[in-house]
Amino acid sequence: MTTTLVDASDQAESALLNLHKKFMSGNRPPEALVPLNEAAIQRFELLKFPHRKHEMYTFVNTKELVSTVFNLPGETVVSKDFIKSHVYPECESSYLVVVDGILNEDLSDNSAIQSSINLVPLKDAVDQPEIKEYLADTIEKENDVFSAINTAFISQGTLIDVAAKKQVEAPLQILHVSTGSASGNVTSHPRILVRLGELAEFKMIVKYVGVQGNYFVNSVMDILVGEQAGVTFSQVQEDATDAWHYSKTRVQQGRNSRVKAVNAFFGNKITRHHFEAHLKDVGAELLLNSVSILNDAEQVHHFVRIHHEAPHTNSTQNFKNIVNDKSRSSVDGTVIVNQGAQQIFSDQLINNLMLSDNAHADNKPNLMIFADDVKCTHGATVGQLDENQLFYLKTRGLSEKVAKELLTKSFAESIVQTIDFPGVVDYLENTLLKKLEA
Amino acid sequence: MKTTENTVSDVLEDKKYKYGFKTLIESDTFAKGLNEDVVRAISKKKNEPQFMLDFRLKAYAKWLTMKPPQWPNVHYPPVDFQDLSYYSAPKPKKKLESLDEVDPELLRTFEKLGIPLDEQKKLSNVAVDAVFDSVSVATTHKKKLMEVGIIFCPISEAIQEYPELIEEYMGSVVPVGDNFYAALNSAVFTDGSFVYIPPDTISPMELSTYFRINTEETGQFERTLIICADNSYVSYLEGCTAPQFDTNQLHAAVVELVTMDNAEIKYSTVQNWYAGDMETGKGGIYNFVTKRGKCVGDNSKISWTQVETGSAITWKYPSCILMGDNSVGEFYSVALTNGYMQADTGTKMIHIGKNTRSSIISKGISADHSSNSYRGQVKVNKGAANARNYSQCDSMLVGDKCSAHTFPYIESANSSVQLEHEASTSKISEEQLFYFEQRGISRENAITAVINGFCKEVFKQLPMEFAVEAQKLLTLKLENSVG
Repeated sequence: MTTTLVDASDQAESALLNLHKKFMSGNRPPEALVPLNEAAIQRFELLKFPHRKHEMYTFVNTKELVSTVFNLPGETVVSKDFIKSHVYPECESSYLVVVDGILNEDLSDNSAIQSSINLVPLKDAVDQPEIKEYLADTIEKENDVFSAINTAFISQGTLIDVAAKKQVEAPLQILHVSTGSASGNVTSHPRILVRLGELAEFKMIVKYVGVQGNYFVNSVMDILVGEQAGVTFSQVQEDATDAWHYSKTRVQQGRNSRVKAVNAFFGNKITRHHFEAHLKDVGAELLLNSVSILNDAEQVHHFVRIHHEAPHTNSTQNFKNIVNDKSRSSVDGTVIVNQGAQQIFSDQLINNLMLSDNAHADNKPNLMIFADDVKCTHGATVGQLDENQLFYLKTRGLSEKVAKELLTKSFAESIVQTIDFPGVVDYLENTLLKKLEA
Repeated sequence: MKTTENTVSDVLEDKKYKYGFKTLIESDTFAKGLNEDVVRAISKKKNEPQFMLDFRLKAYAKWLTMKPPQWPNVHYPPVDFQDLSYYSAPKPKKKLESLDEVDPELLRTFEKLGIPLDEQKKLSNVAVDAVFDSVSVATTHKKKLMEVGIIFCPISEAIQEYPELIEEYMGSVVPVGDNFYAALNSAVFTDGSFVYIPPDTISPMELSTYFRINTEETGQFERTLIICADNSYVSYLEGCTAPQFDTNQLHAAVVELVTMDNAEIKYSTVQNWYAGDMETGKGGIYNFVTKRGKCVGDNSKISWTQVETGSAITWKYPSCILMGDNSVGEFYSVALTNGYMQADTGTKMIHIGKNTRSSIISKGISADHSSNSYRGQVKVNKGAANARNYSQCDSMLVGDKCSAHTFPYIESANSSVQLEHEASTSKISEEQLFYFEQRGISRENAITAVINGFCKEVFKQLPMEFAVEAQKLLTLKLENSVG
């Protein structure tokens, strides 16, 4: 099936609408998801593709993406060996494989945690009033046009349900595979929903990989964390270099819940990760760490919105970006403290290490505060290696090259080491950090 | 005096705009509305050379294609630009006989601010006696400045007398089409200040609009241009702490600064325009200002200091373009909002030259129902090796209905830079106040002390007498907000 997805500006919009019509009439989505698809495409019509000076896309040039002609993915066989090579040791029998947005049960193996979690196809999950309401609400409030597009094109989607008081020992890995295409560009819209009941504990690793290039993966993941529940997760973005990766993680936290997210980015044409968190009740805590190491013309953009909606909620964010060659990193992060949300603690720190004059590091750490009894800080730095540190290492007999490598690696290491999954840490040290050795 | 006479042909010629060019020229105050004729008429009124008219028309043409900015974090009903009068001849204010005739509320404010009696008279437009004759003071100052070759005059006068300087520099920092309000100002400005400091000159005094003759009623579109030639220095003060009332609701000023090699300009502002009704938020001035300095020469320096305590809406970003190698840009700001005020203010530091340095210290205080935003950009271009920036923007919240926002943009395209940004938001804690009270210091004085400590870094950049008044001004403004 070859259909135009997007074209320049207005044309792109009508092209997308046309594609959506074809997608709907081709009887792709199940009946239960149709209202969502339709509501979301209406939201898209309202939001439209971003123009050049759109505040949300200050640092991201979407022109090429929007004007690229995309096809919907065809049937591609992914080998088991390929999957195996991307499954982390701790998840050997607890992983789900999502190929081009569609859960592939043959490739998946979740025997280790089958009894602890409940996998519900989204078309059945929407029967639950809570899920239905949540999805309708998010469509209505959606401000990210690409997430609206995701919802408009979901044909499957999975709800991972962790029952109240359930403690899931082994981490679950979700492996998003984009098959890409040798001829022309393809796009996919994976959708995952995670729900944790009261006092539940859950660990998750999400990984994005590509079999070959030329694709646009536009993913959305919602995480609903119940009262006193805790979720720890890591996202590893390692797509093909000539691909686009847009993803949104939307977290909603209940009373005394805990979320810890540590993400690692390899970068590609444009990676844009939108992290939106709503700390909805007293005592919710959020930690968000992120590292990206970029070479060549790779680009990673973080768009972060943390909403403190209740008193006594805490959030901490640490970003470390290393940019080399012509690469580009940007962080656009806002902490919003609602009126009446007193006794908030929020901290945001963005550190950038620039290794080349042709690289870019842009930051926009924003605070929007509507309550007075809060302690909110943010900091951002852009710089290079400390001369004194380099000198110190050289006096100890290390060559300039080795000393530099040691310092740049340790800069990234401080985030990598906060990942709770040893397999992921090992993997990143042997891959992501190797990018610094070139 | 509005002119209502208009001929039939005028009406037929331009139905949209009732008053033709000819009638405009004859009237002292233009009827409401803006079109090309109005722009031409302003230029004609001022007897300007052709290049000025071209400048204005170019700006007007640009303005027509632009829209008011939507991105600032402020909310107000759209301004009807056809509902404003764009020219009004300066007319003498009614002189009062003595201070007894002045509004007692205004006098109370003066007293609190500690403004000297003579100055009070001048500010409230009381006829001044021989001892403190503003005109004679101004004249002596002017003479002194002329001796060292400094030009300090209304910009309309400069257009007549120094057209070559105006033609070269006006619009060189803020281009006519820079932004919506700058374009509007460029098209219709009526007056403002012009300063030229010749090479190797240190200005013998701080220049202030206060001492400039004909300072009243420069209108809502003020234009200031300051040029500082090689190895020179000037400190310029704008505004005053006394509350200012104005019938014009919209103020869209443009300020341009240019420094050559080794030159330095220090520009200080204290702004206390009427902020609207404290209880309802009605009325108040819209202050949409474009201020920008260009460090053209090597080792030059531009320093902005501002104390913003008035206006219903403030939209203002004094910026520095650091072109010359080793040039320095500084921005010190205290912005206080109370009542229903909204401020979106900050700075831009554009690093172009090598070894350029900039520092930003911004202190925002919001009280009552107000909203206070810092918006700043630090941009390092590719060639700006060893650029250095330090930014600190702190916010203080007084009360639980106000809000404080920070929107920094930090963009770097050079690997040898050092950029640091820090921000914090906090409130005056009960513990702090309790500590003061415990030591016998009243709550009010305690708040003053905390606020002044918070703003100290900025106040110390202000000229002495300004600093003292500014401190008192903040206390006065926060009088009923705390506790």
